[in-house]
Amino acid sequence: MTAVVIGASSGLGRALAVELARAKHPLLLVSSDPRDLAALAGDLALRFDIEVATLAIDLAAEANPGARVLAALAPLPASTALLLPIGQSRADDDFSLGVNAIGQMLAINLHAPLAIIHAMLPGLLESGGSIVGFGSIAAARGRGRNVVYSAAKRGLETFFESLRQRHEPKKLCVQFHRLGFMRSNLTYGMRLPLPLAEPGRVAQGVVRRLGTGSFDRYEPFWWGAIALVIRCLPWPLFRRLKD
Amino acid sequence: MSALRGFALAEVELQSFDRSFAARCFVQKPDRYRLIEALPADVPRITRGSGVSYGGASFGGESLVQDMSAFDRLLDFDAEQGLLTVEAGARIGDVARFALSRGWMLPVVPGHPRASVGGCIAADVHGKNPARDGRFRAQVESIELFDGERGWIAANAYENAERFAACFAGFGIPGLIGSATLRLLPAPDGYTVRRIPVASLVEAGEVLLAHANAPVLYGWHDGRASSFGRGVVRFGLEAQRPKDARRAIADLPAGIKPWPILAWNRPGIAVMNRWIRSRWGTPGSDSMSVEAAMFPLNGAHAYFAGFGKEGMLEAQWLVPHARYVDFVRALGDLVQRLKPRISLIASKLFDGIAEGLAFDGKGIALAIQLAQPKHTAQVAFVDALTELALAHGGRPNLIKQSTLDADTPRRAIADFDVARERLRSFDPHALQRSELTRRLAL
Repeated sequence: MTAVVIGASSGLGRALAVELARAKHPLLLVSSDPRDLAALAGDLALRFDIEVATLAIDLAAEANPGARVLAALAPLPASTALLLPIGQSRADDDFSLGVNAIGQMLAINLHAPLAIIHAMLPGLLESGGSIVGFGSIAAARGRGRNVVYSAAKRGLETFFESLRQRHEPKKLCVQFHRLGFMRSNLTYGMRLPLPLAEPGRVAQGVVRRLGTGSFDRYEPFWWGAIALVIRCLPWPLFRRLKD
Repeated sequence: MSALRGFALAEVELQSFDRSFAARCFVQKPDRYRLIEALPADVPRITRGSGVSYGGASFGGESLVQDMSAFDRLLDFDAEQGLLTVEAGARIGDVARFALSRGWMLPVVPGHPRASVGGCIAADVHGKNPARDGRFRAQVESIELFDGERGWIAANAYENAERFAACFAGFGIPGLIGSATLRLLPAPDGYTVRRIPVASLVEAGEVLLAHANAPVLYGWHDGRASSFGRGVVRFGLEAQRPKDARRAIADLPAGIKPWPILAWNRPGIAVMNRWIRSRWGTPGSDSMSVEAAMFPLNGAHAYFAGFGKEGMLEAQWLVPHARYVDFVRALGDLVQRLKPRISLIASKLFDGIAEGLAFDGKGIALAIQLAQPKHTAQVAFVDALTELALAHGGRPNLIKQSTLDADTPRRAIADFDVARERLRSFDPHALQRSELTRRLAL
């Protein structure tokens, strides 16, 4: 059955598309640039002999992305999985963003996922499918950097909690992965204090867990312990942290 | 750096495959088309595929390196015509395996399966029998390339034909190669590879000429003074159902960690050559899958690691038939006199046209691999080899020998500067730069 990947053209999204194709899911790949989508769709269709459709939309500007996704899904088999490995962060997200940039970040990180989930929810409930969201370790505690990004990710986390509270896992699997540092074009060249997770390995785990109930977890799992430590830091100490 | 977040830019230490050259470079690793385009048009740059060229062809020259490894996808396949369109970062081993899975093959592939398609075009590599199959250009239908000023350009034999031709052995100068459409041929089930022991490089030349139409044809030879040129010529014939065909083994890594000690000192070279002789030095035949025949270097991980941290040097010269016998006799004398540490010599037959900067012509090519390339005695041998090859009308493989200076190819290739001017006409501000283009003053 069809899996929908929002933000499929790079990083974890691309790795998820590959793993889902390997598992022989028909795919709807959604991203902003039709060239990236065409390349990925062509590759997956050839290598895995599956049906792949694409939808190029600018989620920062699209008023009703859910409707666009539903329209693109129409010719495909019923969908059973919606994965949202989508996000945008900026180096200048430190209380210096203008109003348009704030709106754009909220649209991509929060509004678009919520709107698409709302649109696809009836169909996913009917098929007993999975909704998979991706948070960030940056949302563990508010800091002076990644301000809007982590606020949006915290909001997304709350939304997934609501979904989980509302729907029994037998009828809808609601899965939320909080990601630690991952190898991507955002982290390329950055000196980070902890090892980077490989998108391919994370994607394998995510796809393996599809349809296995509702949960929220850290990815890789040991980030859970780090998040706990960060949350437990006394405020006077946490306030002094710069990175 | 923080201002460039998402642009995928980092400072990285890069090293050539032969370990002769290393540099700390700014590397951009785009994974989307708009990131390729985001680089300002006036920034000096060079494209990098898998980084497996012997010399520094994909970095250096104070250029920003655009790493195309994320652009490794298969874009389109016409199963009736045998046309496969791939992104330029696609590794040739992956492309070959896909083609074979559909009953097709690429007749011209380099020995290293991780070479990128873009790299194969930029170096215009040859395959297992260049006399029969020509160079990589023989199987490229069209190219899409990116020029910082003009954007994306479609190039083929009819549209932007001069630029299309310049991409082959163009060493990245005509622009960033984004994708290519490759012309495939129906694949055989496998090969029966026969071994013919030879006592000398002269005899090897005769055997190569006698089997010019074999799809697989090359020789391996001892480079020691005591047994110079002794070896084996292997030629493969298509087999419908190869018996006990050897299964392909894992791809050779792009970067090979050197052993902490040099294995290819004189005793080590002697042991290796004895082993090669005992294994392949007797007449006979082996059944082999097409993939295994395409990528013999997959079995050579230990061989390359054994050169240690000092690395290796490969000097490859194509000598015209008329001068070949004199050349190998003089080379034998040189080896007797200087006793260089040659780990291996490979021989191949060529029957093409010596055009532009491509490694082609009519003659026999010898690839001479040496350990400890910076040692005085080895340098003296390479210098003498260069003069000897030039004196016998030899043509160097520019992508292989990392010690070639700007003067040598100009002495060897009559129209070198004409070819250089033609290449630079597509890059008038000389923005496409690498260590190779700097060293050869391209």
